[in-house]
Amino acid sequence: MTQKVVVDFGLCESNGVCMGIIPEVFDLDDEDYLHILQDEVTPENEHQIREAVRQCPRQAISIADE
Amino acid sequence: MTKPKLKFDPVAQEYFDNPYEIYKRMRDEAPIYYDEDEDFYALTRHEDVAAALKDTDSFSSSRGCDLSMVRTGEVPQRSIIFMDPPDHRHMRSLLNKAFTPRAIQSQHATVVELVEHYLSKVDPDNFDVVQDFSGPFPVEVITRMAGVPEDFRQQVRHWIDTSLQREPGQIDLSETAMQANIDSAVYYYGLVQERRENPQDDMINRLIAAEIPGEHGELRKLDDIEITGFLTLLGGAGAETVTKLVGSAVVEFARHPEQWQKLLDDRSKIPDAVEELLRYVGPVQYNVRYSIKDVELPSGTVPANKPVFLMGAAANRDPRAFDNAETFDIERDRSQAQNLGLGYGIHSCLGAALARMESAIALDHLLDFMPRYEVDFDGLERVHMQNVAGYHHVPVKVLR
Repeated sequence: MTQKVVVDFGLCESNGVCMGIIPEVFDLDDEDYLHILQDEVTPENEHQIREAVRQCPRQAISIADE
Repeated sequence: MTKPKLKFDPVAQEYFDNPYEIYKRMRDEAPIYYDEDEDFYALTRHEDVAAALKDTDSFSSSRGCDLSMVRTGEVPQRSIIFMDPPDHRHMRSLLNKAFTPRAIQSQHATVVELVEHYLSKVDPDNFDVVQDFSGPFPVEVITRMAGVPEDFRQQVRHWIDTSLQREPGQIDLSETAMQANIDSAVYYYGLVQERRENPQDDMINRLIAAEIPGEHGELRKLDDIEITGFLTLLGGAGAETVTKLVGSAVVEFARHPEQWQKLLDDRSKIPDAVEELLRYVGPVQYNVRYSIKDVELPSGTVPANKPVFLMGAAANRDPRAFDNAETFDIERDRSQAQNLGLGYGIHSCLGAALARMESAIALDHLLDFMPRYEVDFDGLERVHMQNVAGYHHVPVKVLR
């Protein structure tokens, strides 16, 4: 079973906290749109992704089982 | 010796004087505090408050956000802070793009100009940081963004101050506070009417043009009362909060001069200092919700149909979440726990990025203006307000 990063774009307000934690996964473009560069949760990025989930002031990020 | 019975009274003089004593006792002795006299609950531990802020299915905002409103049981005016999903999402999406960290950069020059303007007018030998500086400048920024004409921008701040004022022992609004609410609503309502006639490029016109899904999914415009509510909220939230944070900052740095010295030595620490101020002396003390069902929280159960105080300011000093939680330390490890100073979840502060920028610019200029200063601690006067704390008067003398 793989786990993937999911963003609720209705909640996201482009605070960029997630990008600050792990820019390899989250990227805000010049128009303030958030892009998920790599949605798979791996042993390497899991800790930082969970940190982004926790620190998102909007609680817009989650991890879903595929 | 037995301790006196634990009593949290949100309008007690001793609570206004020092909220943090009672927070410690509540966290330690009654994490799910129940007040028999007024029939409400209060959460103070970080894990409980954070969980409750996230759980809008259990903790509703739709009856209002203060005890007086929630317990009347009446449906409040349609304002975004009194909404649950999905209504909340529709309203919030109308303005949130204007407040992203990137978008707010367009206000940078305005904030610098206003900060410099007000600092240039004070007497360095004797001035009041709140009355002369941190009161006047934030309200100018937000009301400019909203589209309030210059002549009324400071008036907005006085209305807010009066409407939040509570005498010790008084939970409900006084007639003066009610009147201030009415006066500001009448003013904004008239302004909306005028903007319909003479459109300008500001938030009022953005709200006039906006459409949100109505009851049956069809798109509809906001009515003038809804726009009035939105403007009242923006003015309030955008003004008195930074006012109090900056006032408290000057007091805390006077108590901890070694922390001020760290900023003098390295200005790159200013953003961390702002975060620590939000944690340690953030102005918002609590928000009240209404429990729609019995809710299990880490520290126990909150029953259905009760007003519940979610006390972010108490959670922000919870030693279960932060090492040395009662210590003011701008260099602390900020990843330890979520700072609840600007809220958390769907109702978290819309203007967070603006608040951070204003506070950082204010600190940067104060560091230049008063590298060494003293606060007249005997002259400090705290506000008596519903859900926000801070100082009304902070007398300062710059040392040379």
